[in-house]
Amino acid sequence: MTGVILRRLVQLPLIVGTVFLLTLALAWGIPGNPLENPEGRRPPPEIAEAMKTQYNMDSFWDFAASYVDRASGVRWLSGRLTGEHRRRDAGAIASGLAPPERFVFDLGPSLQYRDRNVNEIIAGSLPVSATLGIAAILIALVVGLGAGVVGALRPNSFADVATLTLALVGISTPTFVAGTLLLLLFSVLLPIFPVASWGSPRDIVLPAITLSLPFAAYIARLTRVGMIEALSSDYVRTARAKGLPERTVILKHALKNAFLPVLSYLGPATALAMTGSFVVERVFTVPGLGQHFVSAVQNKDLFLIMGIVIVFATMLILFNLAVDVLYRWVDPRIA
Amino acid sequence: MLRVMLPILVLVGVLGLAIAGDRPEPRADFTFINKGDVATLDMQRMSWLQDLRVGRLLFEGLVAQDVFDPDYRIIPAAAERWELSDDRLTYTFHLRRESRWSNGAPVVASDFVFAWRRLLLPDTGADYIRQFQLVKGGEAFTQWRLRALADAATGAGPTGDELWKLTLDAFERLVAITSVDDLTLRVTLEQPAPYFLDLLAMPPFFPVYPALVSQYERVDPTSGRLIIESGWTKPGHLVSNGPFTLTAWRFKRDMRLEANPNHRMFKSLAIRTISIPTVDDANAMILAYRSGAADWVTDVVASYRGDMYEQKLAFIREHQAEYDAMKSEGIDEIEIARRLPDDPRNHLHVFPVFGTYFYNFNCSAKLADGRPNPLADPRVRRALAMMIDKRAIADGVRRVGEPVARTLIPPGSLAGYASPSGLPCISDMRTTADRDALIARARSLLADAGFPDPSKMPAVSMLFNKDGGHDLIAQSIASDWQRYLGLPVFLEQKEIKIFREELKNKNYMTSRGGWYGDYGDPTTFLDPHRTGDENNDRNYSNPVYDDLLRRAAAESDADIRAALLSRAESMLVDEDLPAVPLYHYCNIFLFNAHKISGINSHPRQTQLVFLVDILGDGKGTDIPLSTPPRSGSAGDPDSGGLPR
Repeated sequence: MTGVILRRLVQLPLIVGTVFLLTLALAWGIPGNPLENPEGRRPPPEIAEAMKTQYNMDSFWDFAASYVDRASGVRWLSGRLTGEHRRRDAGAIASGLAPPERFVFDLGPSLQYRDRNVNEIIAGSLPVSATLGIAAILIALVVGLGAGVVGALRPNSFADVATLTLALVGISTPTFVAGTLLLLLFSVLLPIFPVASWGSPRDIVLPAITLSLPFAAYIARLTRVGMIEALSSDYVRTARAKGLPERTVILKHALKNAFLPVLSYLGPATALAMTGSFVVERVFTVPGLGQHFVSAVQNKDLFLIMGIVIVFATMLILFNLAVDVLYRWVDPRIA
Repeated sequence: MLRVMLPILVLVGVLGLAIAGDRPEPRADFTFINKGDVATLDMQRMSWLQDLRVGRLLFEGLVAQDVFDPDYRIIPAAAERWELSDDRLTYTFHLRRESRWSNGAPVVASDFVFAWRRLLLPDTGADYIRQFQLVKGGEAFTQWRLRALADAATGAGPTGDELWKLTLDAFERLVAITSVDDLTLRVTLEQPAPYFLDLLAMPPFFPVYPALVSQYERVDPTSGRLIIESGWTKPGHLVSNGPFTLTAWRFKRDMRLEANPNHRMFKSLAIRTISIPTVDDANAMILAYRSGAADWVTDVVASYRGDMYEQKLAFIREHQAEYDAMKSEGIDEIEIARRLPDDPRNHLHVFPVFGTYFYNFNCSAKLADGRPNPLADPRVRRALAMMIDKRAIADGVRRVGEPVARTLIPPGSLAGYASPSGLPCISDMRTTADRDALIARARSLLADAGFPDPSKMPAVSMLFNKDGGHDLIAQSIASDWQRYLGLPVFLEQKEIKIFREELKNKNYMTSRGGWYGDYGDPTTFLDPHRTGDENNDRNYSNPVYDDLLRRAAAESDADIRAALLSRAESMLVDEDLPAVPLYHYCNIFLFNAHKISGINSHPRQTQLVFLVDILGDGKGTDIPLSTPPRSGSAGDPDSGGLPR
């Protein structure tokens, strides 16, 4: 086990480095000037040129080198060692000002939101997406498991057909339709939940339900199939024969085995849900990470693209590792 | 079972912690949804409408506009008074003794010198650098710095701190901006510019706090460039001199402002806290307003806004007599809404603004791929311009009451400026005979240009960007050109960044375009058509036009100057048609005029949010502000406008 973890951790910087170079090459090739305004006035050409130099965007290799210098923490270390940081902090304090913030792994400024550092953008939006994603996965689990078990107990009954139909609707309804419907019903017609706000637990309910729908539907189907198979197996017949109450048979014996495929689905599903959804974030005005995957590319915001790709790649590797470790622990048959 | 449940329990725990750690703030006195996210609060670098709006809350320039005056009269702000020399070149500003930065330090003349030097340094990348180069020596200084940086790069000149020292000397030597003493600032212009004070009322010309900003600027020892770091505009760091201070700015969430106790207006402000949530979704903005989460939506862009406007018109029809009576008295649209009954339909406010939607014609002799350009001939451009059904675009596609445009500058938006008549278009013709005559005229223009049969002309491409409904407008125009002339047309839709790049490289034939005026002078619309101007996407070049602008710039008589500029605009919209104006933009606001005062309906659209007053809440005067009609000296000039 420790060997697996160590091996994966050693691979991590290599994979991230490759992803970095590939993404940078692709992002560099997107046509258009990221420093240019989408509308309105253009500054004189010599000013536009000076701005490119300001962000080291004159040449691909200069950009890549200065990016790695900052993002790897080398620049921070040198500022620390040469005493440059201390000198500048002292200067700020002498004028009665707060010393500037610094990041060890500095992912650079956003080109679109020039006053923002990519570190801050990710630090601000990743927890939001994670909270929403976890809430959605929990809802999906409760609803999906419940619906799957109910359906499997009486296959082809009314309850089964109804949950299957609902699951089909859940998978096929686009989230922008479901989200807007929920918003209209529960925020405008019946003002129970707030619109366009984020911060209190009530704000999470509607976007989490919207985000959970496709996951819940898939989990319901997985559970139903698993349960039907488990309920007809020998060990369940044995459990019933020795006179165990039906509740114990279903929850303890059948569901435990039917849950395993759900658990393996849960790994990638949680990763997907936690990194945000562009659509759900837009409809409910959630300040999450998902929107940047789309808008950063549209704006050709090089620093932001590189920042989220690096963070996302790192997260995905760590998450897969966690699921692998967890799976070995839950199911001892996998060594 | 525990093993299976553990990951789920961990998830529950994380969720609980995340929710517990996030506390919402109490509701602000006034909440508005800005046009988009604020990109920067660095005064010298900003140029977006939403940035400028917040910039005017946090910072204060030498002068301001009285936004409830029909002519946007200039009034004192950080400067309490100023003098203009007889040659109209030298301005001497006297700063208020009591002006303070939010940290208590006095606002002094050298703060302005510092900000204006940043503006003129090419390193800063200010979008408005060109506008400020009308200060004497401004352009010379920018060019000096560019040359010095180029020399440093090749090793031919000094670099690092030495270059920086020389740059400071050059600024002092070349640029006619002097801080005479702490409270006196003197600026000399290259040539008289009647709109100079109007410019100074714009945030890029506002001061920044030098001790703070210089912490984030450092000279690169090898290239000698000024490296500008972000971070000083954050709450807790930012020091500003405006009526409000920044207390929170959470990315993609919200911005929160609080009244600045160091500002002279502090006591007269009717609102103490402002919240600006980020809402990107067009529909969510409207829902936020309807559910009471926002007091003002500054830009209604939802796809169903045409229907909302229909409902507003239906509401007005129910009160037609009262509406017409008030309109004839010259009462402004917002005040009319306030006097009509409170009705959700009446919360929508639509009024024309200082901007125009047009179609660019590429005027280059050859297209980017080397083919000869049929649009290089002004007769072809005139013919195509006349065959556009502008009414169908305004009423059928846009559906929000935008006025059909014949000129670039919205007529009546500038006092003392007479707009040219502009070329008629097919929808101006009332009878079939008139229409046929106009079509015949267009065809004969094409024939004169060497295209007797328009269907054999090279196909005309129409370039526009995705989103924003530009596709529908392009389709409407294409069908007009096909119907009336039989012209082959094809549409090209591109991503916005690529669209902008194509325009810059003149790699198109016709394209959608638009322009908002920045300051109260015709040149804000006319300069982008000057030969070689960086905003001249049309590559239009006419020495007569350039000469008219040059003569106007040197002209001291205001009436003659206006006539020269009007003649120049006439060249654009009557004769040469480098662009065909389609409609003048409208602004669409959503707010309840019975509850909110302080938002003005002037076409120039400078909104000073610190003037907002929640009516009937017992705070502030609770007397609504409104714009008096332009002509008659309507009553007491101090009845509406800025608190002093």
